[in-house]
Amino acid sequence: MGLAHYLARRVITFIPTLIGVLLITYIVAYAIPADPVRAWVGEKLLNREALEMVRKKYKFDAPWYEQFAFFVQQLLTGQLEDPIRYRNVFSEIFFRFGITVELALISFLFLVAIGIPLGIVAAMKKDSPVDFFVRIFALIGSSLPSFVLYYFLILILFVYYRTTSLAGIPLPSQTCTDFISSLPNQIPVLGYIVSAIGSVPMFGAAMCGEGGVVVETFRRLYLPALALALLSGGFIARIVRNSILDVMGSEFILYAKARGLSKLKIWGHALKNAMIPIVTVLGLNFGGLLSGAVIAENVFNIPGIGKYMYDAITRLNFPVIIASTFLVALIYLVVNFVVDIIYAVIDPRIRY
Amino acid sequence: MNIVYRALRILIKIYTDIRDRITPGWSQKNSSRIREWELMAYAFSKSKIGVLGGFMVFITVVLAIIGPIISWEPYWIYKTITDPKLMYLPPCLPPWCSGRPILGTDEWGRDIVAMSLYGFRISFVISIVVVFFGSVIGIVLGLVSGYKGGVVDEIIMRLTDIFMAFPSLILAIAFAAVLPSRIRGFLGENIWFRNILSTIFGLRPQEYPQLAALLSVWIAMVVVWWPGYTRIIRGTVLSVREHPFIEAAKLCGLSTWRILVKHILPNVLSPVIVMITFDMATATLFAASLSFLGLGPQEPVPELGYMISKAGRYFPERSLHVVAYLGLVLLFIALGWNLLGDALRDVLDPRTRRALEFREEKV
Repeated sequence: MGLAHYLARRVITFIPTLIGVLLITYIVAYAIPADPVRAWVGEKLLNREALEMVRKKYKFDAPWYEQFAFFVQQLLTGQLEDPIRYRNVFSEIFFRFGITVELALISFLFLVAIGIPLGIVAAMKKDSPVDFFVRIFALIGSSLPSFVLYYFLILILFVYYRTTSLAGIPLPSQTCTDFISSLPNQIPVLGYIVSAIGSVPMFGAAMCGEGGVVVETFRRLYLPALALALLSGGFIARIVRNSILDVMGSEFILYAKARGLSKLKIWGHALKNAMIPIVTVLGLNFGGLLSGAVIAENVFNIPGIGKYMYDAITRLNFPVIIASTFLVALIYLVVNFVVDIIYAVIDPRIRY
Repeated sequence: MNIVYRALRILIKIYTDIRDRITPGWSQKNSSRIREWELMAYAFSKSKIGVLGGFMVFITVVLAIIGPIISWEPYWIYKTITDPKLMYLPPCLPPWCSGRPILGTDEWGRDIVAMSLYGFRISFVISIVVVFFGSVIGIVLGLVSGYKGGVVDEIIMRLTDIFMAFPSLILAIAFAAVLPSRIRGFLGENIWFRNILSTIFGLRPQEYPQLAALLSVWIAMVVVWWPGYTRIIRGTVLSVREHPFIEAAKLCGLSTWRILVKHILPNVLSPVIVMITFDMATATLFAASLSFLGLGPQEPVPELGYMISKAGRYFPERSLHVVAYLGLVLLFIALGWNLLGDALRDVLDPRTRRALEFREEKV
């Protein structure tokens, strides 16, 4: 079975998974006993005609399977509408997802900068104070309730030293967003890709040369990003340490030593082989960050995808729940898929 | 360290005595297994981290059992209604000040130490039930999926894929938002069930709407908990089932069920035990996060995450001590389980045990 065959098989298994995710989301949403339409329309506009109109529009008068088919059809054709904001769900989601991507990227930078060097040092100096510190760091990180850490970071870095802000989110100027959204019309294929990348506010601003916005974004998001990285940094460092030690204990390293290779070369060999578990954990961690840090986004008041989903659930906003769960499930599957491909690239022995 | 080893040996002795009484000659037949257990106990008593973690878990469990009984303040009396000055009193440590609760009060003027004793029980009950049901479902599905293979395996794995593709917190939030109103009706009618639940959680039966919220947190968390176990168990079963002893068991004509329980399960158990220990910490924090987001019990239940989220509104001017203390309580519970798990992973790994045995014999 070749690589292409394997990849194709994997992509095909996406379909039942995604359908299952949609179905379960739908059943959960459908089981909500309250009347969602009433919650959407709001008390102010609560008259019978308005209710009936919305109910008809979202097929609440039809049986559940018809309604489900309606939602799926709207989802796949990209017409689903946010009934509270009266906007297309996808434009809302893409906007918020861009902010989550910014947060995830900055946090990932911190994570790599903290986790990998610490892990390497801990492996080089096994059973030293550094190694012990890494162990404690990992244990505390996985035992600390995240929101308590967020509160205290806010206390120190926002209340005492005003190094960041907790309101709003820096966006590129209107002319810049207009320019980026017009790109697909100007350049045929590449335009779509560039415009998709540019829809992340930070990248969009960088493309238009608005450096101030990029700096502002870092200022706004570095605190939640750091907090997220601190929580899993120790864990990553432990994985790095353990996988390096595993490889260092294997026969080929012994052989390399016997051949009299320099220390640097031996470490080079070891690191390359230790990369596989590290890539897995980092990849899954990044996937987790992309699917929205619900608590962090709530505490730090970031309008990302996690907060959007949370708000949607508490306001019984079906269309948003369905569309965003679909997106997040898709991200999870794609991240797993990409991690598998990276395996094959790093390690030539892995053939599917 | 020696005390720990001796205590564990006594526990092993009690267990073997009981087994001997049920089936005479059990301890002779299983002498090698008992020796292995003693070696594990020895390895555990040698690990400082493990002993510390075990001690912290012991305290957590004891406080969870006796907490609501020894708590000196009822949680359902809102003192600030009659005396608003009691709200968020700062800590008051004995040599410098007296007459007020040592670590201060929460927004209803209740002593936060007394409230955290209820919190210990609630979070312990939630996490142990979630981990128990999650692991049982996960183990059964994993065993069946790994051993049977074929279509059954494919169906179970697709199902786990679906549940793993959900962001677990979001799925749990959705369940926790949907379920309570349905469960509330059920609890309103079934008084006996309500009474059982209130005894387990250490709350009053009158709080049954909150009990419904707690029950829905249980269900929500079990739903997102099992796939991890299924994955791990399936992977281990796939490698175990290729061994000759399984083939031998099949040739002996043993039933599938017997092979699964008697011959495969013991071989996949140690990673599961380690995972369960770590998961107790994760489940504690997960439940606290859910109620932090307002999806667990509400007033007046002193759930740790919920109390922190309430105190967060006055943070940091008035409620710094509440967030700090309750945060430390959660850290204590989770850290205990994590330390224990970290040590158990080494103890249950036969390679480290053999190395230890070898070293001790040389000395």
